[in-house]
Amino acid sequence: MKIQGTGITKVYNQKTVLDIDQFTFESGDFWGIIGPNGSGKSTLLRLISCLTEPSSGKITYELRDKGQAIKRSMTLVFQKPYLLRTSVYNNIAYPLQIRQVHPPEIRQKVEEMLTSFQIESLADQKAWTLSGGEAQKVALARALVFNPELIMLDEPTANIDPGSIMLLEDRLRFHYEKFKPTVLMVTHNLQQTKRLCSKVAFLHEGVIHDQGSIDNVFGPDGTSLVKSFIQQGLI
Amino acid sequence: MENILEGVKDALILLTTLDPEFYTIVRLSLFVSLTATLLAAILAIPAGIVIGIKNFPGRKIIIRIVYTLMSMPPVVIGLIIFLLLLRNGPFGHFSLNFTPTAMIIAQFCLVTPIITGVVINGTKERGQDIRELARTLGASRSQTLWLLIRELRINIMTAVVTGYGRAISEVGAVMVVGGNIRGHTRVMTTTIAMLRNMGEYSLAIATGIVLLLISFIINSLLYYWQQER
Ligand SMILES: Nc1ncnc2c1ncn2[C@@H]1O[C@H](COP(=O)(O)OP(=O)(O)OP(=O)(O)O)[C@@H](O)[C@H]1O
Ligand SMILES: [Mg+2]
Repeated sequence: MKIQGTGITKVYNQKTVLDIDQFTFESGDFWGIIGPNGSGKSTLLRLISCLTEPSSGKITYELRDKGQAIKRSMTLVFQKPYLLRTSVYNNIAYPLQIRQVHPPEIRQKVEEMLTSFQIESLADQKAWTLSGGEAQKVALARALVFNPELIMLDEPTANIDPGSIMLLEDRLRFHYEKFKPTVLMVTHNLQQTKRLCSKVAFLHEGVIHDQGSIDNVFGPDGTSLVKSFIQQGLI
Repeated sequence: MENILEGVKDALILLTTLDPEFYTIVRLSLFVSLTATLLAAILAIPAGIVIGIKNFPGRKIIIRIVYTLMSMPPVVIGLIIFLLLLRNGPFGHFSLNFTPTAMIIAQFCLVTPIITGVVINGTKERGQDIRELARTLGASRSQTLWLLIRELRINIMTAVVTGYGRAISEVGAVMVVGGNIRGHTRVMTTTIAMLRNMGEYSLAIATGIVLLLISFIINSLLYYWQQER
């Protein structure tokens, strides 16, 4: 899915928290969205996923598979994922159930995900009894299982142990290579951006201050603002 | 104290002798209150959810009105319905006063704000999260509503049980619109009030015990059903 925005602003209580003239996320690109706390990263993802209306401007979506509904072809994984009050298995099955997928296919896909994220043993566990990291894995599995064209992730690996970070990154990379969705991933982890993303956008006070390939933004020709953030370890 | 002990004995006798008049009263009580609660639930659950999550002008005042109506005395609701249904009143041509239908209408008005209010409270807390999750997973409007009902089921169950408890136990509304007519609109609570006036204390207690017993059984069933899900 290709996403374009023009003249996007978001105002909360007379305070402009987002002000982006123009952005384009090409179909099949893996973007890292970085920037300090409160710079508007989550707000941007909420706007693109239609959870919040922009105060002005317009976002357009171009599907690869034109027959699909746009809202059914994208997903957002929150930093604190909400899991349904049911088993892990049913959580992952839910997006397929609402798409009227045939039960045998649901079972096969859910089991694939459980194996892929190494959480087979949690299949029947009630979702509210999971640890934070386990919940994060379930939320990601639930987002990938219906193969959306646009995947938005808001700090998917915050508060997760290094081993699990590697597993999540590996699963994400595997899925990306296989299906080439557009991915927008908010992260505070510079190394993670370099490991996964091909493009990066740097948000600062609601404005996309710099964007482009990893090498350009983080390289010697990058802006001084980005450099100072990297030096301070703020990304 | 003696009367209460007598009442327990009488309750057992009432239940075991299968007194047809008594069973008619119990059946009507259950029918009126369950019907009123069911109809109220159909309206109040979606209404409570919508008021709980949607931001629209007038929402706060509506919530305050619902909360106020939750503590409306049944006898006042009964009186209002009675006046509306009077022969020369706006709905007089239905001639519903002193019928079970009028009792259902009165209890419906009593229970609807209670269920709505409790559901609003539960929805305020988690409704927004559930709605946003449903959207991010591509759920349609009706699928989102259904998911909200499923996720908030414990709260909704509490709301319905509270509303039903209020309906089966109230005496004011059914007395005013029903009139406690033997074999026609007499329910358990109006029976108790009447027996007390007649000085039949132990029989009144016995009826009260049966009322409690029925409530216990219904609550247990709902609780069991809730656990299963
Ligand atoms: N619903 C809201 N009402 C008022 N202000 C809000 C709301 N949502 C976000 N904001 C404000 O918008 C600004 C941007 O918030 P946002 O959550 O997008 O930041 P972020 O870049 O995701 O930060 P973080 O790295 O801490 O997650 C913040 O100043 C925040 O206080
Ligand atoms: Mg954020």
